Amino acid sequence: MIRTYRALLVAQIQAASQYRVQSILWMLFSVIRPVIFLAAWVAVANSQGGQIGAYDVRDFAAYYICLSLVSNLTMSWNAYDFEFEVRMGRLSPKLLRPLHPIHYSVVENLVWKLTTIIPLAIVLVFVAITFDARFRTTPMHLLLFVPSVLLAAALAFLSGWVLATLAFWTTRVHAVSTFWDRAAFIFAGQIAPLALLPGPLQTIALALPFGYILGVPAEILRGGVTIPTALQLMAGQVVWVVIFYFAFQRVWRVGVRQYSAVGA
Amino acid sequence: MTDAVVDVRELRKTFRVTEREEGLAATLRSFVKRHRKDVNAVAGITFRIGPGEVVGFLGPNGAGKTTTLKMLSGLLHPSAGEASVLGYVPWRRENAYLGRMTLLMGNRTQLVWDIPAADSFRVLQEIYRIPEGQFRSTVNELTELLELQELVHKPVRNLSLGERMKVEFAAGLIHSPSVAFLDEPTIGLDISMQVRIRRFVAEYNRRTGATVLLTSHYMDDVVALCKRVIVIHRGRLLYDGPLADLAERMAPYKIITATLHDGAASSTDLDAYGTVVSREEGRVTLRVDRQVAPERTGRLVNDLGSRLADISVEDPPIEEVIDRVFTSEQTTVSA
Repeated sequence: MIRTYRALLVAQIQAASQYRVQSILWMLFSVIRPVIFLAAWVAVANSQGGQIGAYDVRDFAAYYICLSLVSNLTMSWNAYDFEFEVRMGRLSPKLLRPLHPIHYSVVENLVWKLTTIIPLAIVLVFVAITFDARFRTTPMHLLLFVPSVLLAAALAFLSGWVLATLAFWTTRVHAVSTFWDRAAFIFAGQIAPLALLPGPLQTIALALPFGYILGVPAEILRGGVTIPTALQLMAGQVVWVVIFYFAFQRVWRVGVRQYSAVGA
Repeated sequence: MTDAVVDVRELRKTFRVTEREEGLAATLRSFVKRHRKDVNAVAGITFRIGPGEVVGFLGPNGAGKTTTLKMLSGLLHPSAGEASVLGYVPWRRENAYLGRMTLLMGNRTQLVWDIPAADSFRVLQEIYRIPEGQFRSTVNELTELLELQELVHKPVRNLSLGERMKVEFAAGLIHSPSVAFLDEPTIGLDISMQVRIRRFVAEYNRRTGATVLLTSHYMDDVVALCKRVIVIHRGRLLYDGPLADLAERMAPYKIITATLHDGAASSTDLDAYGTVVSREEGRVTLRVDRQVAPERTGRLVNDLGSRLADISVEDPPIEEVIDRVFTSEQTTVSA
């Protein structure tokens, strides 16, 4: 399996190298939103004496920088690709090879992250200096961040695949995944750090999977939560990964039977 | 034939499709209640194919050919019936099975567009776990047979349709499958490329002993490659037997073409010998019952005497036979 991954990686890096500019543009696009929110929160904070809850301007900067990084490291766009593949019959050749189609997506996903991480880091350093970001990160936070971001990536990937697999039943997954993205917008910690959501919304957010993909690892990286809280939140991540893992197994098994090889 | 490679029994596939009439009212109604209709794409077919056979799978559009191939390759689950290929149930899609068969669709691509085929081959080598030595010799053999030397190092998107198809063939066969399902392998290709692909399939079958089931709308493909044909129509099996006997079974007539020296065929009354199909300058074509064809030919030679420049007796063209099969919907004939 390692050899297969290596071969897939080589091929995918070659393919991706043809779209360098596109990759960079996508990366920049993914940074724009957090930076806009950062600018908005900085303005709000400044108008209220420089502090909202536990966040001052420099905390907001650190939070949104961490969020951008996590967002890049956990991004998963399978639902869109997969719907296209099912609709155009492009899935068929993959289904006929002795390798689960999910592996091609894992590799594509990894390659995108590898090719965009360095330019992204440069942009984020620039933002950090501009906004004078303050990180409260301890070595323990850094240590926990690694498994936490991996769990978040797995969760984003698996939940993306569960959505994607709906394409077996309807070839219009787009609507569902747009709804999903809107929910993530509110509950994942993009519009505001989870700690600043009003009481009931915060409870809802912690009961939903979205925050465990973005907000949780971002706060751990920033050092915005205590170590015990971080561990608690990571337990939540594990629960959601397990849930989506089994959901994916189930949905895939039933879905493949359903697959009518539309247009294939 | 106890050692059948492909063994299909009463295989069925029913698709459930949503139907609605045109117009706003019907559209609104369909929001609430959808009319569903069952379509029998494959309505219970049974056949077996032995090792090393090359079988033509014929039928008009929508006959159920591709659906059958998809079930045999494991893409589709049947609604009923059984099938075994190389001893596996295809739709369980066990890796052991997938590693020994291929489905090539003439209008589909399985290569990565942005990289040269040679790199895709490397990926396939790892996916199919092909040992290095075997991989090299297979690639060399395919490169030679398909004349790929120049092609495998260009990005796939820079290849012409014909070139791409050759490379697709190589990719589909790189793991030396024992069973190949070919769905319209020559579709859209020019004549010389069709001929090359045909030669390649024949040669591949000869060298490897692979079993091949192929569909094509080009009868030349079938005539060149298949001794046996299976004809299906509306999901049912119409004929299964030697290609040579298809005409005899399905078109019980022969075509007699007589050419006259004086070029006066148009004025000669030949209706007494058979049904006149065409009259051109100096040449008349007759359709006569198979049984009486020798006798009618003899009479023609006698009666026309020295006016006759040439005469030939042939089976009707295979396209005509097939067309006749599909339009007349005869009952199942098995040879």
